[in-house]
Amino acid sequence: MLKLVLARLAFMVAAGFVLLTFLFCLFHAIPGDPARLIAGDSAPEALVQSIRQAYGLDQPLLTQYTTYMGRVLHGDFGLSNFSRQPVLQIVGPRLLNTAKLAGWSMLLAMSVSLLLGSLSAMYWDRPLDRGVTAFSLVGICTPIFVTGILGIYFFGVHLRWLPIGGMSSWKHYVMPVLTLGLAQAAGFTRMVRACMIDALGRDFITTARAKGVPERTIVFKHGLGNALLPIITFFGLGLGHMLGGAAVAESIFNWPGLGRLMVDSILTRDLPLTQGCIFFFAMTFILVNLIVDLLYRWADPRIAND
Amino acid sequence: MKYYALMAAAATLTASSFLSISVNAEDAKPQYGGELALTGQLDKTMFPGRNTDAGGMDVYLNACENLVEMTADRTIKPALAKSWSVSDDLKTITFQLNEGIQFHDGTPFNAEAVAFVFNEALAKKFLYVSLLEGLEKVVADGEYQVSFKLTKPSAALIPNLAYRTMCIFSPAAYKATGEEGLGSKIVGTGPFVLSAFSKGEYVLFKRNDKYWQKGKPYLDSIRILFVPEVTTRVAMLESGDVDRAAGIPDFDIPRLSSDDNLKVSTIPSLQQNYVVINNLKKPLDDPRVRQALNYAVDKAGIVKSVFAGTGATLSQAPTLTPGVFGFTDMREPGKNTIFAFDLDKAKDLLKQAGYEDRNGDKVVENAQGEPLSLKLWTRKAGKGEYQIAQLVQNFLEKLGIKIELTVLESATFSAALSLGPQEAKYDLALLAWTIPTADPDEPMMYMTHTKAWKPAGANRMFFSNAETDRLAEQAHAEPDTKKRAEYVRLWMAELLKQAPVIYLPTVNLTEAYRTYVHDAKYLPAGTYDATSAWIDKAAKGQQGISR
Repeated sequence: MLKLVLARLAFMVAAGFVLLTFLFCLFHAIPGDPARLIAGDSAPEALVQSIRQAYGLDQPLLTQYTTYMGRVLHGDFGLSNFSRQPVLQIVGPRLLNTAKLAGWSMLLAMSVSLLLGSLSAMYWDRPLDRGVTAFSLVGICTPIFVTGILGIYFFGVHLRWLPIGGMSSWKHYVMPVLTLGLAQAAGFTRMVRACMIDALGRDFITTARAKGVPERTIVFKHGLGNALLPIITFFGLGLGHMLGGAAVAESIFNWPGLGRLMVDSILTRDLPLTQGCIFFFAMTFILVNLIVDLLYRWADPRIAND
Repeated sequence: MKYYALMAAAATLTASSFLSISVNAEDAKPQYGGELALTGQLDKTMFPGRNTDAGGMDVYLNACENLVEMTADRTIKPALAKSWSVSDDLKTITFQLNEGIQFHDGTPFNAEAVAFVFNEALAKKFLYVSLLEGLEKVVADGEYQVSFKLTKPSAALIPNLAYRTMCIFSPAAYKATGEEGLGSKIVGTGPFVLSAFSKGEYVLFKRNDKYWQKGKPYLDSIRILFVPEVTTRVAMLESGDVDRAAGIPDFDIPRLSSDDNLKVSTIPSLQQNYVVINNLKKPLDDPRVRQALNYAVDKAGIVKSVFAGTGATLSQAPTLTPGVFGFTDMREPGKNTIFAFDLDKAKDLLKQAGYEDRNGDKVVENAQGEPLSLKLWTRKAGKGEYQIAQLVQNFLEKLGIKIELTVLESATFSAALSLGPQEAKYDLALLAWTIPTADPDEPMMYMTHTKAWKPAGANRMFFSNAETDRLAEQAHAEPDTKKRAEYVRLWMAELLKQAPVIYLPTVNLTEAYRTYVHDAKYLPAGTYDATSAWIDKAAKGQQGISR
């Protein structure tokens, strides 16, 4: 177990290094001049040049790269080109905000999908199953920005029950978490249902039924327990998807998270900030996958014994 | 006839409603207290020297003031400076400063502080440095007297000093925390003191109890929430999460106007859309071809379809918008805009320049039979830029020119439009220009002058004309306002003949606010000044807003 964790952590460092190098190359390969964007469209060249000098953008690429990587190794991700604040200071709180949004949404998505997916499999091809299937199909097909804006107008503007933007109270969490969580739950539910139908059709379930085990125990203990393996993997991958969706939800609900920051920083060619955002996004993703792998071992001890 | 009668009736109605508003405003006495919540946008630092966006100014102008300020009717009046005088050789401008003013950090505002800020701007090349053209140094002559020394006379300096980005920040705070420090905590002399800032979320200003203009401000605090998503912005205003939002989409205006609790106001901005014409490319070097392009575009059609009829104003003069110094209405009698749509005239001008449809394929060719094909570049940004570009493509194709429309991502577009004459690859490109200081100096010297060809200046057309250059230089140096205005008028008249760009409508600025907010100023540069703003608490309660 420890070996696995250590190996994964080493992998994280290597992946981070490759990622930063890749982003650096990518940023210099695509057109767009950060100094020009800082100075504004109509700024004179002399001014743009002075910004290039001040921000070290006039240095040879290799020098820029080694200086940057050297700093990163010391835990310094540099200053944002636009706001001139340390990247870590900007990214840190934003990452936490995204984690709050994604965490609650994920929790909601998992609970809803496990419940609905299992019920759907239990009542396979009956009205309840059809209702759940309809819910998931609508959920999968409706983009977050549509449900989000409908929610804003209905609950925020008309009923005035819920605040629209920001994250200062629990009420602020309701709409973004519901929008993001339910959208994710829709996809998860389909997956849980399929795995459960498969598990409930196996021989040991028939045996359990023959022994007179209560149906609830069969479904939620034996069925779900055996269906859990592919579901865990799917949840793990789903979190990556969720982080992408968070960027959209953050824009609509004005949630000061990392996704929105990342999109803005790419559009303004703010290399240090983009690198910071993507780096921490990727690290989060790798970390979550490590946790998924550990959960996998817990769910199926055979893997740990291998 | 009927139409005009309707217009007259509408005008009377508007005038009477304006009258009633002003009477009400006079009757009502400002109330102290309350928090004003606004939406805003701060993409960069809030240090004035490194952020000249309207969104940035909206943030720091609450805390940071200028020597002089421009009123809504675009006259320059004293602010931190009490008065000023110009020397006989026109090379020294001396300001007398108001006394007894303190920065928010307790240090005194004096001549030394003013000199420090501008000398630092010159040395460190703050983003507004091109507006200080000709300024050599600033010298503190005494505690409250400061002189601006110029290398050559400049009539534009004083209006430019009213540009909100040239505000006087605290030198002590700057020395202690640098650009980075002021970038997240601006320290000035303004009516509000920065109290909290969370990047990408909000900024909170509290009342400056020691403010030098006695009795002001009325508000306890101003909270600016950063809301980039426009739909969210509008929804937050409608739900009462904020009291005021700017940048309202034109298509939301009718709905918001019908809400009794909201007031929508639209003012023409200082931003005019235009199509850059690369004057070096053949046959675009021929003024007749450039005029033909201008006549072929139906500007009224653009206002109607892209701006819902109300989001933009037809241009009345080349480059300058009403209210800019020296602006004169240059429309032909009976026309609603310059280069009013006239396809026949456009075709005729092209024919004079040697281009007509010789083989009936609806594309014009020159004498050698080569069809005229041009590249038009645009980006998906600004207020409807991409839609305007599509319409321009359509109009020019009706003139018989093949147009290849390319949409570039914003940053790529910006880089491609910043290249010099040799490297520039566009024939036409859709852009917008702003005259932030409401003075014509920048468009004259920096946008159309031969010396301002990219990359040195902002002349992307590579337009060069001895007459407009001469008039621009004369206007730049002329202290006599009458003479200067005449130079500006002649310059515009020459631009009309030369047609260096395709002139398009001026974008309007739209804000909407709750009716209990009074006396805030929405200025043409797109900035919002709440120094005199106040909130009618009873009315706010009646609207059910308890925030």
